[in-house]
Amino acid sequence: MTTNNVNRAVGDQLAGFERQISQDRVNAYAEASGDHNPIHLDESYAATTQFGTRIAHGMLSLALVTEMLATSFPNTWHSGGKLKVRFSAPVFPGETVVVYGEITSVSDSDDGLIATCSIGCKKPDGTDAVAGRATVPLE
Amino acid sequence: MAEPLISTATVGHIFGPYDVTISAERAHAYATAVGGDESPDYGDSLAPILVVAAALTKLIEDLGLYSAGLQTIHAGQEVSWSRQVKIGEQVEATAKLAANSIRRGNHFATVAVSYTDASGVEIGTSSTTIIVSGEAAS
Repeated sequence: MTTNNVNRAVGDQLAGFERQISQDRVNAYAEASGDHNPIHLDESYAATTQFGTRIAHGMLSLALVTEMLATSFPNTWHSGGKLKVRFSAPVFPGETVVVYGEITSVSDSDDGLIATCSIGCKKPDGTDAVAGRATVPLE
Repeated sequence: MAEPLISTATVGHIFGPYDVTISAERAHAYATAVGGDESPDYGDSLAPILVVAAALTKLIEDLGLYSAGLQTIHAGQEVSWSRQVKIGEQVEATAKLAANSIRRGNHFATVAVSYTDASGVEIGTSSTTIIVSGEAAS
């Protein structure tokens, strides 16, 4: 874990990781978020949708991305962090996703040093399920 | 079936406020859902994205997007947060419809949300873009 944020530089990789999105994780996320939409939980219902099977909550994939940001910027992500992402593809239970991030710029502002990062979550075929950028204070 | 609110709500429509206080049980479920060996230790605090998700769930219910025949795609999300939130801390979310248009029979809606603590101080914001398709949407 990196705690000395001020020394972060362009090109630094964030603390990415792989995670298998099991149906158990999806079920737990439904309890956490309150989102019990059957497209996430009910296989017979999900079979009638455009996806043909259950899909994970998009916000679950985004939550994984924010885990990486909280680990990479433990002192500042939750106190001034911002993100903007697009959801590009569904994640199906059983798939293993790769959460990634990289610092693309560091700039000085009235509030101090700010890192801009490309962030996302890739599906097993390499396509992005979630992609976007985050800005995080470095001090 | 009642017409979903997404079909009739105009820009500026206010949703909520919603109580999005997160209990210890829900925080535990979140840790089960997303956690791993490399996960950060939140202690008695929450990942703010869980508060955003809780508000989004209530918003989708109010918009009538769980109606049969509708398919909703969560297309985009923005989040900003200014301080840690404790498990069980009172947080309220108030949402405003920021955009709502129809293109090729699909609704494109953006909802902006403000999160406030028990003192009424804003501690975060979010913006959600959704695309709704289906017979009742057009």
